[in-house]
Amino acid sequence: MSAPGRRQPNWRRRITVSVVALALAFVVLAPLTSLDAAQQAGLPLLTDKLWFRLATTVAMFVVLASGWNIIGGLTGYASFGNVAFFGLGAYTVGVLVANRGWPFPLALLAAPLVAAVFALIVGLPLLRLRGHYFAVATLGVGVAVGEVVNNIGPLGASTGLFLPIVRSDIAFFYLMLGAAVLAVVTTWIILRTRFGYGLLAIRENEEAAAVIGVNTTFYKVAAFCVAAALTGLAGGIFAQWNSFINQENVFAISDNVQMILMAVVGGAGTVLGPVAGAIALELIIQTLAGGGSGAVYSQIGLGVLLAACVIFIPRGVIDFFGGRSRLSLRYFRQTLRETSV
Amino acid sequence: MTLLAVNDVSKRFGGVNALAGVSFGVDEGDVLGIIGPNGAGKTTLLNCISGLYRPDGGDIRWEAASISGMAPYRIARLGIGRTFQIVRPFPSMTVRENTATGALFGRPHGRLQPAAALAEADEVLGLVGLGEKRDYPVLRLTVPDRKRLEVARALAMRPRLLLLDEVMAGLNDVEVEQALQMIRRVRDRGVTIVLIEHVMKVIVGICNRALVLNFGRTLVEGPPSEVLKDKRVIEAYLGRRYAQDQQPPPRSHPEGAGT
Amino acid sequence: MSQFAQQVVLGLLLGGIYVAVALGFSLVWGILNIVNLAHGALVIVGAYITWDLFTRLHVDPFLSLPVDALTLFVIGYALQRGVINRVIRAPLFFTFLLTFGINLVIVSLLLLIFTADFRSVTPSYSGTGLHLGSVIIPYIRLGGLAVALAMAGVLWAILNRTRIGAAILAVGADRDAAQLVGVDLRHIYALTFAIGAAFAGVAGGIISTFQSITPTAGDPYTLQAFAVVILGGLGRVSATIAGGLAFGLIEVLGQSAPGLGSGFANAIAFVVLVLVLVIRPRGLLGRLA
Repeated sequence: MSAPGRRQPNWRRRITVSVVALALAFVVLAPLTSLDAAQQAGLPLLTDKLWFRLATTVAMFVVLASGWNIIGGLTGYASFGNVAFFGLGAYTVGVLVANRGWPFPLALLAAPLVAAVFALIVGLPLLRLRGHYFAVATLGVGVAVGEVVNNIGPLGASTGLFLPIVRSDIAFFYLMLGAAVLAVVTTWIILRTRFGYGLLAIRENEEAAAVIGVNTTFYKVAAFCVAAALTGLAGGIFAQWNSFINQENVFAISDNVQMILMAVVGGAGTVLGPVAGAIALELIIQTLAGGGSGAVYSQIGLGVLLAACVIFIPRGVIDFFGGRSRLSLRYFRQTLRETSV
Repeated sequence: MTLLAVNDVSKRFGGVNALAGVSFGVDEGDVLGIIGPNGAGKTTLLNCISGLYRPDGGDIRWEAASISGMAPYRIARLGIGRTFQIVRPFPSMTVRENTATGALFGRPHGRLQPAAALAEADEVLGLVGLGEKRDYPVLRLTVPDRKRLEVARALAMRPRLLLLDEVMAGLNDVEVEQALQMIRRVRDRGVTIVLIEHVMKVIVGICNRALVLNFGRTLVEGPPSEVLKDKRVIEAYLGRRYAQDQQPPPRSHPEGAGT
Repeated sequence: MSQFAQQVVLGLLLGGIYVAVALGFSLVWGILNIVNLAHGALVIVGAYITWDLFTRLHVDPFLSLPVDALTLFVIGYALQRGVINRVIRAPLFFTFLLTFGINLVIVSLLLLIFTADFRSVTPSYSGTGLHLGSVIIPYIRLGGLAVALAMAGVLWAILNRTRIGAAILAVGADRDAAQLVGVDLRHIYALTFAIGAAFAGVAGGIISTFQSITPTAGDPYTLQAFAVVILGGLGRVSATIAGGLAFGLIEVLGQSAPGLGSGFANAIAFVVLVLVLVIRPRGLLGRLA
């Protein structure tokens, strides 16, 4: 049977499949060529620690973009507050490990739980809102939670939290990769079940969904919780991997926008779209950051990229849902004609 | 037996009384036609029954139990399906998938999985005459076909009561005839039907009862042929002068009309 | 008691700032249906212009407000005409992302030009105030409130007493119909955004007189402007005034509550926002959607 999310034109399939294949190849080869392992095995160095860091970051954004995709892409609720789940996951691990002395694996299990419970609490009122109202209200969640955390002493206040450093690039890479696989598989499963049909129905016409018997409130909140759990998991891993968290590095609204952009550019509502988007955009952003004098230029680059994507492919997203788009000059011109005044 | 009982239901929007105390009953096997001028409150009434609006007053009962203010999905699962006047398909899904959603979510008992729901959709699509277009994306469908799809999606829920909101609007004569046949087939399966319609041919051709709404109130109720001849109905549609010209002696002013 | 009176006065004065910040935001949202996430950045651009004129040329901050308005008007017109007009018919979500991108670019450019250092404008009269019994009203804040109310008056007059205003309202009510009666859509859109930006610039000029500014200081103002519009209701100047003053009061009184402090400004804004959205989506004085 064909699930709605699987319909894609051939060329897109080919691109996504090859991107994913490349990523997989990297995954298989990477550990062999890492500094430590390669030296022991006497292999040539294909990657170094910097590349490992990049790969782990890419995997992290695969989780974040896929998580956003579940609420934004499948359900149609563009959340600007997912970064709150990331931050909560990170702080859950941070507090449990740094303050309570829990072992990291145990603390990591708590991260998605805390994020999901929070999503349940804020989701019930917020998911009654639509459009701009939902977007800005969730944006408020992201900012507000970060601010509250920033003011609580036991959470390190504005200094942040330091976790005991664990040095193992490979372990964190595989952990994050595992989370990414989990996120992708979760999306894949959702799209093949009744739950997925319900979410798509809500996205496309919420009232019509309600009168054919979709329990819209429950479905929306459930989707929000699943997204939160995945995002919180990534946050938990990040906390230990980075061994330092504060408001700025785990509650950054620009991270939220990045995950949206990745999902949207890659193809919101599809399984592999967010993966392709995360890989492509993170590489671009990192290149920009490496090219100029660091963060400022990368921010400008992200801003311009955002504007370019939004201006040139807004119809793309709608078309991507139905798998009817062709990226060509004519397509760009047509898009501009349709969306501008 | 009475399937649905609407008692004195009212609904206000700001200062406008969209419904000002409407009452009627629907018996099992009925085909009830609701007519009335634009703005009479017909769609508001359907929205109250299907739970999209919560009535401000009065009560709606399904098999004697109140359903006013119940969530729409729960009302749907009781066996009340509906269509929208302005069709609301799920655009990214095919015709078949659209229809399957009705079977997936609208059943009172027993949860279907997607595969079973798709099989169910095929059967319903045959009934409404969309069988050959089942793999079309919705956006390729013509207007009459989209209206058929609305009906198919509601039918896939296996409703006991089907609320049809102007499924004939915008169709030409041939298409109206086809749609009439479709509704008859649905009726013959034992589904009770409430339909809103402007096309009088449909009201006379298929309904066993008709109800006229005007300014949120019940104006007349009865067998279609009588209702359509009623002076108050002609007044409501075409104005008092016209009605007086048509009907020789003005009788005593009917209670409750025109206020 | 007198402390409470002082809090109320401070709340209303702060509310004046919010009125100033929210006027342009509300205009752009109401007419163009754009939630402008770059609004706070535009406010800060105005603040930097005032700072620059003050430190280099010793121009009094209140005298530099027309310069802020004019500069931001030009920037705003160019942004809307050149960039945002291209996606105005796309789904809401895209204009939202686009304005975030613009915000990112403006903030980064400010960082490059002015660095991340805190800047402040301190005219000779800052720190002095009007003493009414035990209540003190700082002159600067009072001036800010006066400017804010004047801005509201100007906006009302533009919208209700000029041809341009009529065109703007017509576009807001029905884009296509306005076009049919001969309104130049591109120009009116750009003009509306430009007016919104000019108002943001003036608000920024006021803000620079009592708060140190950094390139990133604008983001909270975007959220607060949103909260003000939600609180007051979309679509009327009077609603923005009511929303702004109410919001200023809520924030000041909220921060004086035990356990909270000035660090919770955004959190309080957010809670107010959600409560209003859920309980009374139309806002205090809003029209029906």
